Amino acid sequence: MMKEMKNIGWDKYIDVLLFAFLIGFPLVGSLFRVEMMSKCIVYIIFALSLDILWGSAGLMNLGQAMFFGLGGYVLALSYAARDGVPAFMAGFGVTEVPWFMQILQNTPLAVLLGMVVPGVVAGLLGYFIFTSKVKGVFFNIITLSLASLIEMFFNNQQKYTGGANGISGLPPITIGSEPLSITAHYYLMLAVGVLVYLFCRWLTHSRFGMILRSVRDNESRLQFLGFNPAAFKLTIFVISGMIAGLSGMLYIPIHSFISPGNIGVAFSTSVLVWLAVGGRGNLTGAMVGAFLITWMESLLSEQFENVWLLLLGAAMLAVVMFFPKGLVGTLLDWQYNRKIDRQMGLVQTDDSVELRESDFATAKGKV
Amino acid sequence: MELLISQSINGLSVSAMLFITALGLVIIFGLMDVVNMAHGEFIMIGAYVTYFVTTVFHFPFLVAMLSAFLVTALLGIVIEVTLIKRLYGKVAETLLATFALSIILQQLVRMAFGPEDKFVGLPMEGSFSLQGIVIPHYNVFLIAVALGILAATLALFYKTGFGMQLRAVTKNRSMAQCLGVNTARIDTLTFACGSGLAGLAGALIAPVKSVMPSMGSYYIVDGFLTVVLGGFASIAGTAASSVVISESVTVMAGYISEITAKVLVFLIIIVLIRFKPEGLFTSEKR
Repeated sequence: MMKEMKNIGWDKYIDVLLFAFLIGFPLVGSLFRVEMMSKCIVYIIFALSLDILWGSAGLMNLGQAMFFGLGGYVLALSYAARDGVPAFMAGFGVTEVPWFMQILQNTPLAVLLGMVVPGVVAGLLGYFIFTSKVKGVFFNIITLSLASLIEMFFNNQQKYTGGANGISGLPPITIGSEPLSITAHYYLMLAVGVLVYLFCRWLTHSRFGMILRSVRDNESRLQFLGFNPAAFKLTIFVISGMIAGLSGMLYIPIHSFISPGNIGVAFSTSVLVWLAVGGRGNLTGAMVGAFLITWMESLLSEQFENVWLLLLGAAMLAVVMFFPKGLVGTLLDWQYNRKIDRQMGLVQTDDSVELRESDFATAKGKV
Repeated sequence: MELLISQSINGLSVSAMLFITALGLVIIFGLMDVVNMAHGEFIMIGAYVTYFVTTVFHFPFLVAMLSAFLVTALLGIVIEVTLIKRLYGKVAETLLATFALSIILQQLVRMAFGPEDKFVGLPMEGSFSLQGIVIPHYNVFLIAVALGILAATLALFYKTGFGMQLRAVTKNRSMAQCLGVNTARIDTLTFACGSGLAGLAGALIAPVKSVMPSMGSYYIVDGFLTVVLGGFASIAGTAASSVVISESVTVMAGYISEITAKVLVFLIIIVLIRFKPEGLFTSEKR
């Protein structure tokens, strides 16, 4: 009965509504806003990648942006190396394209690597953390430290990454010889977004997703039942890393620029805030959080950048203190509780009162 | 060879700073199971206090150290009472809340004092040379302060009534409560103590590094690495692992870039904790 009631929650409707809005948006929005919204869709995909990890399996990755950034940098380097040695490298006296960029000159291979590289990093990191007996909080601080170190490393390796300036002037996607229009880009992002959403939904509602939730809720009981939690954690960590890498790649053609800011702690913090505010564990919260906050950010931070960051911190604090399940989680809880109350007859209607009185009467009669 | 020796001597003063940075984290986590993500911002605030006390108001450096400790300890009390206490036992929520707090504190400081670097002069100029290797007096001072703090913390833990209560709460919270220990008070005082140590670390860092709003996130990563290697809840382990990490990074940094050295050390630590999850320097298991 519990499962049935969960299934008719409002989250599905919110998802459909959100996607319907996104499909219709280019009809009403200006080109500038459409471009902004395509970034929003990329962020939604990025948020989904963390939600299947944190929401389902309870693994709060404090450095999720490292996967986003790795995917982005792979594709950016591939674009930059297409016409020989890029300018930022030539400035350091590099005359030949280094070996790892020769591989990336093959664009389809680079796109594949943009997901494989983050996946491998997640796999190695996950192997060492999950098969070890370290306590839960170590996962958080190790991922945070790694994200911060990777950011410093990319800043430091100016020769190959363009340092703090990043890599700029990246081209949009071209089909044939014509570059895609902004609207075409938008619908491409949206199509990928819908596919990722459907994949995540299938994943979290499958048997695998159910086991992930039990990893989150009671790992030792799962172990007693003969499962190996480490294997499940590792798998979801790799999948999550690959999706984040995918979103990082999608970011390149619409933003045409990537810098260490996209790989480090600050960006990892942003995605945490989206999930914390939206609510986690039901995909909808992640999407709503990412959508609302990035849209507000691009509107507000144009004018008040300082105040915006302060607001973001305050919003996060308020949500953690008062709505730990986030906006969507709180809404679903409220709806669920109301439904239960109604079914149990706790919401007093005239009918239920009568029923109880008659029950009482029959019981009395029997005595 | 000379580079190796001079780098390892440098490494000692870096270890001293790292030890003071990480100690607060360890004390707070060991007692309350709280990872304070805003620890870096406490360091930053300590550094700003030092900037104002020494550069703006021209008080001696010792006054700055003391006031950095007091200001951050007070802030710690306020935060513990208003925030941490309400989230007790919820690990993810405390992480998020202190994370949010770190954004807020950093942004407040940036808005109040501007994003640009502030400079704090060295409290003691001069250096002496030992067999051709130049050692600044301040580095010796740093090491002395770190040893002093180590001794003071150990004394506090093992020689005072407060320390005894604190250790009792760490070992078995509910039992300690039954025996009449006021655990809420111990929590608050410990959090204040850890925050104060962060502020003190900020004061000591300020003269040798630049003081800016985002400096905290840089130091907290080093602190985390130390804690991972040394094991949570062990003061001696923290001391040992900060020496190991700083020495290896500083010595390597003589030959390759500091960041690359740090990344290498990090990777080694990840592999090590696979085989020694309780940290390298803790023998007892709870």
